[in-house]
Amino acid sequence: MGEANVSLSSGGGKPFSVQQFLKGFASWCAQRPRCRAMANRFTLLGLLGFACLAAAAPPAEVGALATEVRSLGWVAYSARSPRGDWEIYAMRPDGSDVRNLTNSPDTEDFYPLFSRDGRQLLYRSMPRGQTVSGNDYGRQGRLMLARSNGAEAKALGGDGEWTWATWSPDGRQVLTLQPKGFAIVELATMQVIRTFPRGGFYQQPTWSPDGTALVGVSNGFGTGWSIARLDLATLRANAVSVADCCTPDWSASGDRVVFSRRRPHGGENGGYGWTELWQAQPDGQGATLVYAEVGRHLYGGHVSPDGRHVLFTGNLREDGDPANQGAPMGLLRMSDTPMIAEHPPLRKVYPQAKSGPTLALPAGHEPCWTHSPAPGLPR
Amino acid sequence: MKRWGLIALVVVAFGGLGWLFVPGPAAPPFPADLGSVEVVAKLVEVPPGAVFQRELYHYATILRYEVVSCRRGGLTPGTLIHVAHYDPWKPRAEAGDARVGALGGTVRSFVAGDRHRLALVSPLDEHYMGGLVDKYFGQHAGVTYWALRTDAE
Repeated sequence: MGEANVSLSSGGGKPFSVQQFLKGFASWCAQRPRCRAMANRFTLLGLLGFACLAAAAPPAEVGALATEVRSLGWVAYSARSPRGDWEIYAMRPDGSDVRNLTNSPDTEDFYPLFSRDGRQLLYRSMPRGQTVSGNDYGRQGRLMLARSNGAEAKALGGDGEWTWATWSPDGRQVLTLQPKGFAIVELATMQVIRTFPRGGFYQQPTWSPDGTALVGVSNGFGTGWSIARLDLATLRANAVSVADCCTPDWSASGDRVVFSRRRPHGGENGGYGWTELWQAQPDGQGATLVYAEVGRHLYGGHVSPDGRHVLFTGNLREDGDPANQGAPMGLLRMSDTPMIAEHPPLRKVYPQAKSGPTLALPAGHEPCWTHSPAPGLPR
Repeated sequence: MKRWGLIALVVVAFGGLGWLFVPGPAAPPFPADLGSVEVVAKLVEVPPGAVFQRELYHYATILRYEVVSCRRGGLTPGTLIHVAHYDPWKPRAEAGDARVGALGGTVRSFVAGDRHRLALVSPLDEHYMGGLVDKYFGQHAGVTYWALRTDAE
């Protein structure tokens, strides 16, 4: 900011400085409690007014984004039903046409995963009343397999089995992660066709679109929550990101990995800081911001099947808050990234970031997107 | 009246002192066959950032010990070993949960130089699947043990 000196004197008198005046007024006001309280109220009202204006007048680009994605298949997610239990829902990517895929009031159903062709759905299910854990949801309850519209649901194994299951690219196999290691199961025969050590991977594995690798959360790189890639031919692992990271997903082409990453912080937000959405090449090179906010943790990044958009959850609590309602989901264009929600201190961290539209979606947990029409077909 | 007051004061004072010296509930005896390794070892250090309180996430931290004596497992005195402790900010008797099963011990907090009697298992991957804080990353290539029981020695 430049000096705001405005000379109002015409003769040899002392020039009037707006900045000096404001400084003097602030100092005078700070010593008077009533004046200070009034100034605080004005500041608060100003901020509230700004927030209301921002909320009440969403830019036209948000509407354009909604129109752009409306017909691009379906998004599955878990959320609390009006009865209070967790169900698997599907909605159009703009948040419309929400439908309950599981309709099972006696169970908590969560962690949906469409197969890449969008014809099948995996999710986990446990008796009603148990709490979905933000850390362990991939190993709670039992694994369910259904058509992607929720029909013909059947359990695969019992409680605590088939943990952290993820689809093979062709949808014929499922990879699971257990303490003893990874296992790949052929669904047609239910036979384990391959096992290999997990080498520090411990949650959220996702199989690459070309089937040659997986990414997941690993404790093998010096930090508790690293994103790492495992080459399935050599079983060699490399770090993708070693800041506190989680919920990785592949881009559609497999050349990028999207993940959540804790921004280095000085202890704000109760010592937790805030978590942002990032992407990097699978070898860890070229890490760049996707999207950041102050006031919400961004988790559950899921890239659209054509790679043009990304889904996420914006969590007030850092664990995704699945024990309560989940968190509002959001969607944005990858071409608008790196992007931030405007906030002056955040702008200082990312001066080059763009400001694009984000589409606000219902509260949910772990969204997953397919371009297939199958989830919308009658059961 | 004064005398009764004095007597009451003495009774309360002695009662309070007696209460102070009543032994608390005894820790369960150290099981003879828990884990595959049992050692008495000195905690070499607690690296900065290795132990912190986290309410929302569980984690284990790796601490370095120097073996003082070995009862089972064939470790020689003086050997440096690396041991993962689950949720190290909690007293050991309160650290176990559904995720990792039973853990225990009389140690309430980790202090550099303290001697611990440890019941251990390995390999770590078969016993623990979760976040791991390793301030010795890249400095040790051997076995990392999982602590099942950690008593103050």
